[in-house]
Amino acid sequence: MKIYRLNSPISEEEIKKLLVGDIVFISGKAFTCRSKLQRAVFDEGIVLPKDLLQYEILIHTGPIILETEENFDLISFMPTSSIRFEKWGARTVKEWGLKIIIGKTTMGEQTVKAMSESGCVHLSPRSVSPNLWVSSIKVEGVHLFSEMGSIEAPWKLFLNELGPFVVDIDSYGNKLFENLDEQVHSRLDSAYKALGISEDFKYTRLN
Amino acid sequence: MLKQKVIYDAVLSAIIKGSTHISDDVIQALTAARDAEINESSILGLEDTIKSLVISREKALPACTDTGWPLFYFKIGNNASIEGGILALEETTRKAVISATEQGYLRRTMKHPLSGYDPGNNIGVNIPWFTYKFVPGTHLQVTYVAKGGGSEVFGGTRSRMVAFADGTMGIKKFIIDSYVAATYAGAICPPSILGVGIGGTANIAADLAKEAACLRLIGTHHPEKEFRQLEEDLFDAINSLGIGIMAAGGNTSVLSVNIEYSYTHIAGIAVAISSNCFISRRGTYLITEGSKMEYMKDPDWFGGR
Repeated sequence: MKIYRLNSPISEEEIKKLLVGDIVFISGKAFTCRSKLQRAVFDEGIVLPKDLLQYEILIHTGPIILETEENFDLISFMPTSSIRFEKWGARTVKEWGLKIIIGKTTMGEQTVKAMSESGCVHLSPRSVSPNLWVSSIKVEGVHLFSEMGSIEAPWKLFLNELGPFVVDIDSYGNKLFENLDEQVHSRLDSAYKALGISEDFKYTRLN
Repeated sequence: MLKQKVIYDAVLSAIIKGSTHISDDVIQALTAARDAEINESSILGLEDTIKSLVISREKALPACTDTGWPLFYFKIGNNASIEGGILALEETTRKAVISATEQGYLRRTMKHPLSGYDPGNNIGVNIPWFTYKFVPGTHLQVTYVAKGGGSEVFGGTRSRMVAFADGTMGIKKFIIDSYVAATYAGAICPPSILGVGIGGTANIAADLAKEAACLRLIGTHHPEKEFRQLEEDLFDAINSLGIGIMAAGGNTSVLSVNIEYSYTHIAGIAVAISSNCFISRRGTYLITEGSKMEYMKDPDWFGGR
């Protein structure tokens, strides 16, 4: 396990160095995304605002941001589960030119494949610590606010050593959580035994 | 007479407390988990989480950005006199939710399920959701629960009908298998507080599971011996799996297994699980005659079962 501090723009070499289990702190421009934005762009023909195409860090999150007269006040930030955005995951990686996706959990097969092909990694939080993260984030602006609302609009952020996040999908298609899940499953048989669940147990079919 | 003005203050306080002030039993369980942990990632994950929770308490900031489905559990004294009645209580509660949302204690999370319309204040058809329990006395107690999206959406809430032929073995297998599947990649924010409902119709089991997960303190046990044994056996078995915090690996995989039950039909046994985030969020206030309100550490939802 290595610890990296990355600044966007990030080179292909830097992405290639990252391996599952490594820890990353990240600086630079990023934007936020949830299903509504993906559906608008990929299903409803809304054009992604051009300046976002220059961003290479996407964060799956729905922050709490209060609008004041002068600016936007970031109250709380926590990455949300990426797995639910799988439907358009591969297209976001390729068409939006992403190098890093930050989100809770992980992504599915199609996105992992696209990430390997174009050199992108997925980072996942190890804790639930929004208050440790907000001071590393500056809100720079927002697009499509009236259409998307404050949770789902693409917020433009500037990150200052935001982290730590763990690399759970690297650019070689390795998946940290698949490895960890295999370890959990390898212990299931002895847990069944401790619970008195017999090896040949099968549910009676009720329908 | 319990005045709506005091009820409003108590409900708003319950929301703010629930969202920002994680209960002592939860903090203690997370601290004990950190002290017992050997996995480096889980130690750091627990430490960062505890640090953030302390800041939330001090600065009244949401403990998690996802402030969840707003659920309210009222214990109403059989002889309580509520100004305007129960409908006024519900209207007052909606007003408190709107205010808490405007102030940033709650995120604007609730949407129309088909159109995606966002009212911007967490108020809509059947939201917030109200559950009532009637108890002796003249008091009114409100508990606000934030039921997080992660813990609810990604497999943490499931149910199954188990045949009597499969009995306890089938019940245990369903619980442990469901929990393991739901914790994949940290989806439900493990180590969860795992609520289990056994018996009744499917929705009775699901309600009992949710209430067991969200309203019972960590470390409490069902008073009946065979259910306590089941809680302890499942707790030990799940904690032998090495799931850890956010599924990063580690020796705490579940913080508590809380089981509640109902008598069931001879045809079969409904079993439901409801996982609550490891930063379980609940806030309880008691309103007494003379319109005094008091913070309660324990919702004591199952005191009379």
